[in-house]
Amino acid sequence: MHLTQLKLTNFKNYVWQEIACSPQINCFLGLNGMGKTNLLDAVYYACMTRSHTGVTDVHVVRHGADFFRIEAHFQIEGKSEKVVAKVIPRKSKVFECNELVYNKLSDHIGAFPVVMIAPGDTEMVTDGSEVRRRFLDNTLSQIDRSYLNALLLYNKVLQQRNAALKQFAEQRQFNAGLLEVYNAQLIAPGTLIADKRRAFADTFGEVLQQVYATISGGHEVVDSQYESKLNDRPLAALLAEATEKDRLLQRTTVGIHRDDLALTLDGRSVKQFASQGQLKSLVLALKLAQYEMLRREKNMRPLLLLDDIFDKLDKNRVQQLLELLLQQSFGQIFITDTDEQRVREILSKLDTPFHLYHVEAGVATLAHTA
Amino acid sequence: MNFSSKLIEEAVQAFASLPGIGKKTALRLVLHLVNQPTEQVEQFAEALTRMRQRIQFCETCHNLSDTPLCTICANPHRDRSVVCVVESIRDVMAIEDTAQYRGLYHVLGGIISPIEGIGPGDLNIDTLVQRVQQGEIREIIMAVNPTIEGDTTIFYLSKKLKDFDVKVSTIARGVAFGGELEYADELTLGRSIVARVPYQTGEGLRGREEF
Repeated sequence: MHLTQLKLTNFKNYVWQEIACSPQINCFLGLNGMGKTNLLDAVYYACMTRSHTGVTDVHVVRHGADFFRIEAHFQIEGKSEKVVAKVIPRKSKVFECNELVYNKLSDHIGAFPVVMIAPGDTEMVTDGSEVRRRFLDNTLSQIDRSYLNALLLYNKVLQQRNAALKQFAEQRQFNAGLLEVYNAQLIAPGTLIADKRRAFADTFGEVLQQVYATISGGHEVVDSQYESKLNDRPLAALLAEATEKDRLLQRTTVGIHRDDLALTLDGRSVKQFASQGQLKSLVLALKLAQYEMLRREKNMRPLLLLDDIFDKLDKNRVQQLLELLLQQSFGQIFITDTDEQRVREILSKLDTPFHLYHVEAGVATLAHTA
Repeated sequence: MNFSSKLIEEAVQAFASLPGIGKKTALRLVLHLVNQPTEQVEQFAEALTRMRQRIQFCETCHNLSDTPLCTICANPHRDRSVVCVVESIRDVMAIEDTAQYRGLYHVLGGIISPIEGIGPGDLNIDTLVQRVQQGEIREIIMAVNPTIEGDTTIFYLSKKLKDFDVKVSTIARGVAFGGELEYADELTLGRSIVARVPYQTGEGLRGREEF
């Protein structure tokens, strides 16, 4: 699968922009704050129906404009697919594929798999469990429609349950019956999510180990373990036992929204013991393993968006990485960087078709094709 | 909009305060009333005031009513052993329009949604339990919207009613009449396959009233 053309209207700092893409490597070069990352984010948006940074659409639309539009043309096994997003923040959000409007945005997710590697990724290792849950959800949602549906259902019921617990406290009364109803509604989607996360984590651990060994050349054993209270006891029992605690804390204290994906290096917690170099390699390995999982499950190559990759790796390592990616006939790659010299040097050694764009203050111009 | 008359302006504003009516439609309605005989406009205004002053909620089913007991609850020909539970009065009207139902109703006045600040205590649930307690009711039909909150409400009610000798059913969910399978969404089609019904001879044929 690859993107052939991208058209943006009022997306972030772009008034109007058209990008013709190379099926292999596409580079966006320019100074900081010119809009390189925004181009990657537009591709991400077209695939995932939202911005990679997690901001709301109010912050995605160009300052002063009231709508934005993304048109993306894809090629999948010789067939062309046209995806259009038309968004008026706070009013309407429409996604179309080949002129057909989706009833639910979630129906679009997974049709055009994508992986983005960005400087902020280190938080996957350094921050709390929420970031790693989001990583699991992001990957599994692209692979499995039933997972995404279960997750949406679970989160809605969870919100209602938490709101009910708050209401009990405000009104100084307690309705155990209502809480039991919410528990019953959480069990089916919650159990399905836990089962799928567990199965995924098993395979993912192996893939992660392989990728880590390739890119770091190190001999450490990296492992990922799915941590959840649901591993030991069924959700129904956990929820029932937590009733008193939930009542006091006014929120739901057990469930799949508390899970974690624990990462270890030689059996020791990464967060505490890994060196800076190991951290960088691990973060990259996590994302490339995600890519590999998507490739296996979807049977096509996801788009790979590399934002500011030189932040993580030096020039030689980037070249190695790209060689590795191209050898394994990775799909289409999008790269941003500030240093044109550096990128040109690497590209000249690779002998791969590419498009090189200069990005300046919300305008991208094609500078070189090969 | 500029008005030569303060009276017209006030009337326009009154109409425009109604849902779905903008300034221009409001003006059109007001100018129409200006051309009507005074008497007729008085009747119009009086109908509204009288409605607002005298309308009440049925003390049994909470439907809108002119009298303490609504016409449906008071009708001796209706089946008192079946009660259809709905969210709002509009749902009563929708089901009445089908002319397929001869039982009674119970209007909840909303749906359980703590996010919107609506808990079970804000709905007409206790009166439903009391009605069932009286023992005449054999079946409760839950005709609540098929949403997550709807499921919560049905589940909650069925728990409240589980100690009584009453059958609880829900309206069927599935493919729309006159619809095409190809265009039904996965969830609906999936549910209709799982909750399929035995075929009864001739059941699938359209009745005369549908043509």
